[in-house]
Amino acid sequence: MKVELGGRVAIVTGGAGAIGTAICRMLAENGARVVVADINITGAQALAAELPGAMACAIDISSETSTAEGVAAVMAKYGRIDILVNNAGVNTQSHRVTIEGFPKAEWDRIVRIDLDGTYLMSRAALAPILAGGAGGRVVNIASVVGLAAMRLQSPFNAAKAGIVHLTRAMAIELGHRGILTNAVAPGSILSDGTRALFYGKGGSFGSRTEEFMRHIPMGRPGEAEDIARAVLFLVSPAASYVNGQCLAVDGGWTAGYTI
Amino acid sequence: MGNAAMQIDLAGKTALIAGAANPVSAALQDRLEEDNARILPKGVPDLLILSAPLLEGPDFDWDGLADLARATGAAMQARGAGRIVFLLPACAALPVRRQPNLSMRTAGLLALMRNLAMSFAPQVAVNALGLGAITAEDLVSGDAAMIGHAPVGRAGTLDEACAVALFLCDPANTYLTGQLLTADGGWSAGYGRNF
Repeated sequence: MKVELGGRVAIVTGGAGAIGTAICRMLAENGARVVVADINITGAQALAAELPGAMACAIDISSETSTAEGVAAVMAKYGRIDILVNNAGVNTQSHRVTIEGFPKAEWDRIVRIDLDGTYLMSRAALAPILAGGAGGRVVNIASVVGLAAMRLQSPFNAAKAGIVHLTRAMAIELGHRGILTNAVAPGSILSDGTRALFYGKGGSFGSRTEEFMRHIPMGRPGEAEDIARAVLFLVSPAASYVNGQCLAVDGGWTAGYTI
Repeated sequence: MGNAAMQIDLAGKTALIAGAANPVSAALQDRLEEDNARILPKGVPDLLILSAPLLEGPDFDWDGLADLARATGAAMQARGAGRIVFLLPACAALPVRRQPNLSMRTAGLLALMRNLAMSFAPQVAVNALGLGAITAEDLVSGDAAMIGHAPVGRAGTLDEACAVALFLCDPANTYLTGQLLTADGGWSAGYGRNF
């Protein structure tokens, strides 16, 4: 798929991560000026240096101050914002436990970043998008666990389900003002995190990976570019009647009961 | 050709459009040809478009469409590759009171779509486009009452319907299967009112 984003300014949070990097590259390849936003500013700078017209921006989405300062920096450079991809998020790696024992601090960290952060970043970026009067697009990166719950990650389930429904709320509040909001729900995607759990040598859940894959019709994890392509379509001029949707890119995982 | 800015590469691919003939299926055929697909009259194509009726109406051979989906999907799987895209009205996922038969029948096709996605993976990807209120000269999908309830405040166009179908047809999307992607301006997302 090739689209023309015509110099639109796109902020991608978590832009230095695995999925974020793929999104940044694909948007840039299709003509967007990309803001690689990340708490990992070194990684963001390295990626932005490769992409024509891009900038790096240190943004901690869980901080009201940081999101406001980041958006101000983007406006100072480009004078406009057209696209926001709320991709930044975290899951628990070390606290794979059920809810009665789930640590409060880890719950707070995950929900504060994944759900509150999506709200804070959206609020900060929407003000200039609305003021610009040229419309805009928001894509929230949810997860299949926001559609079908998985064990040992209760706050991630709750936060991602929250993002799916927040997407609908944003769609009905912003649609008549020219801003379309949609979500992409990735399935299991190859990254450093999933390699450590499932797909890499010595992954901590490696003995369960084969059984896990039987639940996914495609029988394999996806790649970051699969997610990026869905984001690209949703921010493209062609997707001008798509609003409030959550598109799972998951190899058919949530299509039904596959076993 | 409002979506000319979006291109997918169907060079060397064959496509077959079966089922209900309507303005969406006709426009999609034009767009597939513009993206260099070769349209087949019958057989097992690379890309099968299954077009359901988009309005409540007279009899349609629903079982025939389902049978064609099953048979073609099985042949694609045996061949090792293929892609199926259903064109459905949005009432397949959110029943519309004034479209009872259409809602029932297309909900069945939506379940079939998901089942075929599970059954024919990994060789075949199966997805569906859901259409809200789409107008050409007349309403070609949905219900006039839906227009005022769509958050974007207008009906969609044939170009906007085709854009989503083309995304689902894109051979590059190899991890996307079993999904309904709806073009309805946000109609099915919630209540576009300040209650």
